Amino acid sequence: MKNILKNLVKIISYQPNPDRESFVLRENEYDRKAMQSGKKDEGRDSGRPGASGGNGDQPPGADDPGSGPAVQPGVSRRRPLRKAAKAGQKKDPDPEDGEGRVSSRLDRNRKKIEEIYGLPANRDIVLREFTLGTDPPLKAFMVYIDGLADRATQVRLLQDLMIFAGVPGPGAGKSASLIMKKMLPGSQVKLAETFEEVVYAVNYGDTAFFFDGSGSALVVETKGWDKRAVGRPETEQTVTGPQEAFVENLRSNTALIRRIVRSEKLYTEFFQVGTRIKSDAAVMYLKDLANPDLVAEVKRRISGVKADFVTDVGMLEQYIEDNPYNLNPQTMITEKPDRVAAALAEGRVAVLLSGSPFSLVVPVSMYTQLHTGEETYLRWQYGTFLRLIRNFSFYLALLLPGIYLSVSLYHQEMVPTELLLAIAGNRERVPFPTIIEMLLMEFSFELVREAGLRIPGIIGSTIGIVGALILGQAAVQANIVSPILVVLVAVTGLASFSIPSFSLAFSVRIYRFFYILMGALLGFYGITIGLFMQILLTANLKSFGMPYLAPSGPRTHPGLDVIYRLPLFLQRRRPDPLNPLDDVRASGDPRGWVDGKEGGHEGQG
Amino acid sequence: MKDRGKFGQAEAVVMLTMSGMARIFLPFPRHLAETAGEAAWISSLAGLALAMGQVYLLHLVLKPYPEGNIVDVTTGALGRVAGTAACLIYVSFFIAVAAVFTRTFSEALLVTALPRTPISVVSTGYVAMALLGAYMGLEAMARSARVTYPFVVAGMGILLFSLVPLWDFTGIFPLLGTGPAGVFVKGGILAGGMTEILLAAVIVQSFHGPGAFGRVVSRAMLMSFAYLALLELILLMTDSADVAREYTLPFYSLSRLIHLGRYFQRIESIFIIIWGYIGMVKIVLALYAAASVFAGAFRLPDQRPLIWPLALIIFTASLLPPDLPTTVKIESVYIRHLAWLPAVFLPAAVLAADRIRARRRKNEGS
Repeated sequence: MKNILKNLVKIISYQPNPDRESFVLRENEYDRKAMQSGKKDEGRDSGRPGASGGNGDQPPGADDPGSGPAVQPGVSRRRPLRKAAKAGQKKDPDPEDGEGRVSSRLDRNRKKIEEIYGLPANRDIVLREFTLGTDPPLKAFMVYIDGLADRATQVRLLQDLMIFAGVPGPGAGKSASLIMKKMLPGSQVKLAETFEEVVYAVNYGDTAFFFDGSGSALVVETKGWDKRAVGRPETEQTVTGPQEAFVENLRSNTALIRRIVRSEKLYTEFFQVGTRIKSDAAVMYLKDLANPDLVAEVKRRISGVKADFVTDVGMLEQYIEDNPYNLNPQTMITEKPDRVAAALAEGRVAVLLSGSPFSLVVPVSMYTQLHTGEETYLRWQYGTFLRLIRNFSFYLALLLPGIYLSVSLYHQEMVPTELLLAIAGNRERVPFPTIIEMLLMEFSFELVREAGLRIPGIIGSTIGIVGALILGQAAVQANIVSPILVVLVAVTGLASFSIPSFSLAFSVRIYRFFYILMGALLGFYGITIGLFMQILLTANLKSFGMPYLAPSGPRTHPGLDVIYRLPLFLQRRRPDPLNPLDDVRASGDPRGWVDGKEGGHEGQG
Repeated sequence: MKDRGKFGQAEAVVMLTMSGMARIFLPFPRHLAETAGEAAWISSLAGLALAMGQVYLLHLVLKPYPEGNIVDVTTGALGRVAGTAACLIYVSFFIAVAAVFTRTFSEALLVTALPRTPISVVSTGYVAMALLGAYMGLEAMARSARVTYPFVVAGMGILLFSLVPLWDFTGIFPLLGTGPAGVFVKGGILAGGMTEILLAAVIVQSFHGPGAFGRVVSRAMLMSFAYLALLELILLMTDSADVAREYTLPFYSLSRLIHLGRYFQRIESIFIIIWGYIGMVKIVLALYAAASVFAGAFRLPDQRPLIWPLALIIFTASLLPPDLPTTVKIESVYIRHLAWLPAVFLPAAVLAADRIRARRRKNEGS
């Protein structure tokens, strides 16, 4: 009763609005001063709390909270096993606490590993015991996951251990480090002090070695699962430009980017995401370009994700985006390393996740979502033409059905008489109101699209085209819809396919139904209400602190690569809303040869 | 008071311009043609001079208080009780403006596009958008205004220059229309009253404070009056002043005249999107200003809880006049004349009281 009363009072009384805008990417005093003096690194490192010393080469996040490769995940919320509680046994020591350290007794370590992995029931896990031929002989065992670890590497490891076995036996408690130094010289090996480290490495395809008398285990990189080769992009096909796409392997993906961005300032920081099932997330940025506040915010958000399971950047995006309730995508998802490289060179930040063949790029604006990267590879006239077509098709995809309904229901005077008579003649035989006709067609189109995606292989694409043709033709012949509507829905569909961002195209598809309803209800006035709402909600949106409609709302330095794609040699500044550390791409003419100079290297940022 | 949101001067100029040009889509250009005849476009220039005077007055009022707005200065200069009463006059003014514009825009829509739709449905649309806009805040409003402004300019350009074949320059002669008194005094007073100047004084802290007030608002006034003068000029050149006096909605009537071949004619409905949008901007800003002044006068921490009740008052008030002619009469006879009280006389009184207080403080200090 008391609670009900309390809640009632809460409902009718004033509650201050929560401040949802936690991060805004602003230019600060430092940035402005640094831009003027041209001494950003020194200024930032000395001026920012938690910055990494005076040396710009020191890896970032060395003393930043929430950064670095070994970020501790959140406290586990797993409940203790009931069985253990019933039997009155001691609770399993959590690998994260002090009892989770590797013991110097081999039998204890073996027991612990068996407990953790549920051996021998868990048949994927292989635990093999062996004895090293040292003097005295040293008992050991290795543990790995079958299928994840590379057999050939393991055989080589064991050979190494046997070949170098002639060395004197290690002293008590030091066997692991001695073996690492003297018996496994050529492999990627590290010492693991806790079972948490061991389990994390083994789960990721590495092999762990335990030696009798050693308080630490050796973790050797033996990752060797089957993986897809780097292939062509499948969702972002372009005619020109690089034709490589990301794969599911994180290291391959970071290498694909690094191969394009050959800079020592390209930093890659790793985070673990997922409290129960861990995935590796890589945050990539150019240290001397990306705004440090932006980088810190990306790292803060990723390390703050407490989800138990994140397997794709699409999931990660939903955990870290600014406003999950807005229809517009606030990050750019791309499968092309060259687009990520271009974004990094503008001062953006890329996030990759193990197991995901896509990369997130932040922050982005609405205009970025209408770019493909191909425009840059084409001559500027062609690129600009492509952009204009795409922008026009964006509005078509959004508004065409709604405008048709408005015109045919409320504003018939707009249509020339001959056309109006033709439309009316075709509509005469259709028994449904125009709105039902339109919804039927749109729904059928969505159905064909979805079915075309789900039906496997060649049948899928066949049903996509044939289904649409047959359905449209049959619907017209059956007097269910009028021919002009088929044309309209087809044009709308084509227009929505020309939007390069899959997420943005999705939001446009949903908004389109809203405009259909508004157009049918109130004609152009309804469309106006819809536009007002959509523009307001979009203008209020931010992507990692950057206004979503920048550089037009708010007005910033317009740039020459937003709506148009003007000549590359005129694009001498980086996008202003990103507030990069250096917003000058080229201080002079990048075509240095024009003035008879050697080249355009002078003054490049 | 909660942070009102910050935006740049470009956004502020555009937002105030769009709000200020709302009246050109309504019967206002006809009033001006009635008052000044063939010189209606010159009257808008006279109105601009008056508006600039108001801008200067409010600039003087706000100048000594870089951290304040008109509410702070009014309550500070006139004292708690009189200051609050003065702020309530501001609130009433904004509510009246919002209600009249809601009704007039709704009636205009009924006249032009939705003759069988109940007025309450159309008004609900406007008030709902006003609620949303005022709730989202000024920053989002300013940005959305900035984003849509190119489309507004393009629309205006298409409309005005599609009428080139119908232009007849004799329409603007005699140059002084109904005579200097009608053109400069009556026409100037009719055109010179602008809500946006007081509105800018309320939201001044959102665009770099009083230091930028004069620059931003005078630019917005220049642009708003340029649109008004241009529309009047084309109205007079396309139709004569006598025909212009007969129009209920001159902008709409002009757009009906466009005929550039068989497939580019009768496009007046397209312009509904532009003027409907601008009407929404106007009502949003008036509602926001009313809520903001009310919250400021009573020292409430946040204006957002006030938006819903004030929107309801605006909606109800907008439905009180029985028809469009009554609404137009209320606007042109009462509100346009009474507007000088909150727009000029009160700020002048505030300025005087503030200077007296400042002098007294100085004397006490010395």
